[in-house]
Amino acid sequence: MTPTDPRLLVHAYVDGELDPAHALEVERQLADDPALAVERERVEALRRVIAEQLPREGAPPDLARRIEAAVGLRPAPAPARASSRPSWRALAASVAVAAFLGSGATWLALSPGPPDADMVVANHVRALMATQPVDVGSSDQHTVKPWFNGRIPEAPRVVDLASEGFPLVGGRIDVIGHTPVATLVYRRRQHLISLSEVPAGRTIATSHDQIAGYNIVSWTDNGVAYWAVSDVAAADLEAFAKAFRAAEPER
Amino acid sequence: MGSLNSEDDQARFASVVLPHLADAYALARWLTGDRADAEDVVQEACLRAFRGIGGFAGVNARAWVLTIVRHAAYTWLGKNRSASLVMVDDLEAVEQKQSSAGAAFEQAPQTPEAELIAKADARRLEAAIAELPVPFRETLVLRDVQGLDYREISEVTKVPIGTVMSRLARARRRLIERIGTDKPGGAT
Repeated sequence: MTPTDPRLLVHAYVDGELDPAHALEVERQLADDPALAVERERVEALRRVIAEQLPREGAPPDLARRIEAAVGLRPAPAPARASSRPSWRALAASVAVAAFLGSGATWLALSPGPPDADMVVANHVRALMATQPVDVGSSDQHTVKPWFNGRIPEAPRVVDLASEGFPLVGGRIDVIGHTPVATLVYRRRQHLISLSEVPAGRTIATSHDQIAGYNIVSWTDNGVAYWAVSDVAAADLEAFAKAFRAAEPER
Repeated sequence: MGSLNSEDDQARFASVVLPHLADAYALARWLTGDRADAEDVVQEACLRAFRGIGGFAGVNARAWVLTIVRHAAYTWLGKNRSASLVMVDDLEAVEQKQSSAGAAFEQAPQTPEAELIAKADARRLEAAIAELPVPFRETLVLRDVQGLDYREISEVTKVPIGTVMSRLARARRRLIERIGTDKPGGAT
């Protein structure tokens, strides 16, 4: 088939699958054809409601254990990888949490779960393994930012850091906990930096950390938790965080 | 072939296949429609993947794993739900005819507003997706639930990207119509 039917192309457009020339063409047709624009709204509404209502769920823990046993791998070891081993500090914190819980105070904000830092690193690693680390590839912030429209509730902050040595590569949707979040990808020489923006998220107490060899820097601005993860040197990642925070907001 | 798998294979399996277990399970669940059946399918697929781990070219582990899961799910469907697969050829024919005639969207009976679509709840969505014919369902799930791009979907479902695009458009179209005509909570 030849996918020139605009009603087909509008799906590919919404999915960020069109090259710039075709995307422009679709945008022109969307402006000219109200029926096509309505079609686009419907498709975006459907994508959004699916993302909201049918979040990705994990495999049953039992299943992983059975499969590991079936192929002769040891049954799942206790979650004690060297990198995530609880330190005395974490233990002290958990004692503090226990005391806090014992006091009858609300526990919602402190409810346990995989720490965001682990999930941010997992998302980054997974993106590196995928055919491409971004769902929308563009060095133009004005292409990347609108791509998130309709995919996540809040538009992410996207800034141009090319002059600081961190060109924009694109963006993708990651999932942290059960929440889809915007992740921007920047480049530092041959290394990629994933930057996840988590509305109302929590950052790590120390603001920088290392998990499985990846450096992590986190900070909060205007109620949004930012997570930068990369295999660049810690100093480079700090420089990136500094440049991102200092950059003029996009216009 | 037939010899014992080395520890290398186990390590490779752990790094290639295990990270994608959640995706494998999700696809199997959407294809079989049942959690327990999905576990059987994933387990079978993982054993196949383990035996074939030497054949993985190291490009896209997720697509490779999902391809095997899909194959295992189709085998399972053939044994247990053969009726759901019978229609595939007919559908393809219809699809071809419609897209070549460019008549894919001409006669939409009723197309709801975006606001109505946005109000669909998880149960209605799941029911509507479950009713999609398998080729449409898997394309929609891989894209809109699991977030694969067209190229990956084309790799997993073994069809050209143009077919991915038209199946996806058709699947979404059916869902949108279904959500629009469904009575809220109207499952009997």
